Amino acid sequence: MWGKGLVTGLKVTWGHFFGKKETVYYPEEKLPMTERFRGGHLMLDVEKCIGCKVCAMNCPNAALKLTVEMDENKKRHMTSYVHDIGRCMYCDLCIEACNFKALKWDQNYESATYFKEDLIYDAVEEAKNRRDGNE
Amino acid sequence: MHNGILYLAGQSLKELMLPIIGSELIVNLIMTLICIGILFMLVAVSALVFTLGERKVCAWIQVRIGPNRVGPWGLLQSTADMLKLLTKEDIIPHGVDRWMWVLSPILIFIPAAMVYALYPFDDGVIFADVNIGLFLLIAISSQSVLPFLMGGYASNSKYAMLGGMRTVAQMLSYEVPMVIALMGIVMITGSLKMSAIVEAQSNIWFIFLQPIAFLIFMVTCLVESNRPPFNMVEGESEIIAGPFTEYTGMRWALFFLAEFANLLSIGILTATLFLGGWQGPDFLPGQLWFWIKAFLMVLIYQWIGWTFPRTRMDTILSFGWKVLLPLALVNLLLTGFGIYIFKWLL
Amino acid sequence: MATTEKFVLNMGPQHPSTHGVLQVQVELDGENIVGAKPVMGYLHRGIEKLMESRTYQQCVPFTDRLDYVSSMNNNLGFCMAVEKLAGIEVPERAQYIRTICCELNRIASHHVFIGSLTNDLGSATGMIYAFRDREKILDLFNIICGARMTCHYIRIGGVIADAQDEFLQKTEEFINYVPEMLDEYDRLFTGNEIFQKRMQGTSIISKEDALRFGMSGPNIRASGWDYDIRKIDKYGIYGKLDFDIPVGKTGDNWDRYIIRLQEIVESAKIIRQCLDNMPEGPFMAKVPKMLKPPKGDAYHRVENTRGELGFYIVSDGTNKPYRVHIRRPSFINLQALDHMCKGMVLADAVTAFATIDPLMGEVDC
Repeated sequence: MWGKGLVTGLKVTWGHFFGKKETVYYPEEKLPMTERFRGGHLMLDVEKCIGCKVCAMNCPNAALKLTVEMDENKKRHMTSYVHDIGRCMYCDLCIEACNFKALKWDQNYESATYFKEDLIYDAVEEAKNRRDGNE
Repeated sequence: MHNGILYLAGQSLKELMLPIIGSELIVNLIMTLICIGILFMLVAVSALVFTLGERKVCAWIQVRIGPNRVGPWGLLQSTADMLKLLTKEDIIPHGVDRWMWVLSPILIFIPAAMVYALYPFDDGVIFADVNIGLFLLIAISSQSVLPFLMGGYASNSKYAMLGGMRTVAQMLSYEVPMVIALMGIVMITGSLKMSAIVEAQSNIWFIFLQPIAFLIFMVTCLVESNRPPFNMVEGESEIIAGPFTEYTGMRWALFFLAEFANLLSIGILTATLFLGGWQGPDFLPGQLWFWIKAFLMVLIYQWIGWTFPRTRMDTILSFGWKVLLPLALVNLLLTGFGIYIFKWLL
Repeated sequence: MATTEKFVLNMGPQHPSTHGVLQVQVELDGENIVGAKPVMGYLHRGIEKLMESRTYQQCVPFTDRLDYVSSMNNNLGFCMAVEKLAGIEVPERAQYIRTICCELNRIASHHVFIGSLTNDLGSATGMIYAFRDREKILDLFNIICGARMTCHYIRIGGVIADAQDEFLQKTEEFINYVPEMLDEYDRLFTGNEIFQKRMQGTSIISKEDALRFGMSGPNIRASGWDYDIRKIDKYGIYGKLDFDIPVGKTGDNWDRYIIRLQEIVESAKIIRQCLDNMPEGPFMAKVPKMLKPPKGDAYHRVENTRGELGFYIVSDGTNKPYRVHIRRPSFINLQALDHMCKGMVLADAVTAFATIDPLMGEVDC
């Protein structure tokens, strides 16, 4: 009472005025993402994927569009694996559904884009680029 | 007679010009114009500095870093803000009372800048050392009520109207305790002249002679300049931005220019009236003492503002009339007795 | 003689302190409030209807989006309702992890309450401090499930991944930090005279009124009812835990604030007990991938941070629910707004709104 609370409040803020700051200098310093972090693009392992479309079936929002072609030997080939981030709610159900562990997140949280169209990408193409880049 | 740095600089400039121009009248006129220019620049620069300062102080209190991207240490942030505001589209909403709406941000700037003419910055450095200085100061600063109401009324918005009405209520009712609290100082000094008030504090600052008046004055200053925790006029969580709700771009910036001019104003005023103005130990020039005290007071006002939640309209009105006013009257009475006893002892 | 008129002020859907997109039509007589009419529906996404075309597993991430600051509790409510419907037994360890997560989320949600309340009272500093501490909990969620707000961690039959040692250890660190954190809040706002002046004795809901409005959660407990689903139903492992239900007296804004502070302490107590008695074992029951609960219906209620959250699910024997209805506590609590605002001034409307603590994602569903 009688302004005692006001003075203790001032003491708290005075302490923080000189104290350690919590801000992370974002583009220069980046927080490490955890092992289980869900977000970013889907990393498709083309070798493991058999094109069964279970991931697309498990997606609650139909964010995944897969086209699978059969060749003459009745072998299935993944031609495109389109992931629409605009529809995705990062629920992880596609990754959990995969029996062959062919999918994982790329841990990149900087997925904001200027245009809505840029949110749609092809995971097969990205996998190809990644492989080309490694070689 | 006087020995402030600025005073001496002004004198030497005058002496330099006199042989060139010849007429003393014209020299005085030029000097007056230079002084006005400096005062306006002071107001404008203070707005730029305090935009950054306010954001930095608020950030440090809130365990953040604050602006640090534009320029080194974020120094150019306020310039960038100002440029952005200048280049924004000038929107005049439909249904506003055009003349009043346009005039309001300009008019609000006038009293905010005008009071700077009455501040003794240094020994002998005061633009208008009139013998009713304090009275004139209060008279001018109370004019800033009207533009708020004009803006609030002319905006044709309910939020702005509420904000305008709140301004009138709080500013008018806090002027009374403020004036009565300052009466104590006037009684001790025996003059309304600003330079005389500073001179009177050469032995002891008025903060020690008038502690009650100092507290009352601090509270009323916060109310008069719409600083939090008394920023009912803006009250961003209830009435969005009060009278400024409908303003954009440069017009809005003018309101903020006035607000930061007022912030420096109350800092200077508190330093002048209670902390001895430019007076201080000799190892630093008076000019420096003046700014140290003024900025310290500004920092304290900001610190208070960023710590407390906002009060409620009816609470501060009843606080003003039922607590501060009687307190100020008691202070007046005590001062009177004190002076009487002091004289009797002598 | 001068006459005065009442006028209607539209607060929202775009307004700094409507916590999202609520519109309140406030009828004012000067600054005094005559009536306040909440208008909702700006955030309606039709989640109940969306769930009808999703399988049971696919429904769970939608519950995250109901009350997005306490998503764990929503997950829990839906999953327990489905488990009741399908007769799934949840392993012991999963129950403990669920309880820890839900109580952490309760603390995080109360941080949002404290933050938005202080912000609405005009102290942005308070908001930053509360959100700074909430960040610590969100980081914990990031460790355990990879998401910070829309967790989707509690699944039908258990939890999706086991709690790591890192998580348990950091949770303990956070629990140790709670007293220090609350002490800072106490020094900064609880003891502050301006804060007390604005909160005490404003927007009173009497004991009878709280019951008549069908309020639940901290709001009804602030009015004096000892009503907590965790104690009444003893769902999950809450029957085994020792904790108290803080109850208020007058039902004013102040009580609603204090109740939440005390609930943080109680939640910390619950988490501490869970951490100490954490059993080993599986974290997920055997649930078929194509879950087809038998025909019938089930209702399950849990104590969400905002009150009694109930899920009513009708199954027609297929893998998708036939009908889902959600009893959203915010929606029901919000109707008291008019009663709370009457006779107050405009600034109190904001405070009253903040202390009901509705979340528009849940109100509009």
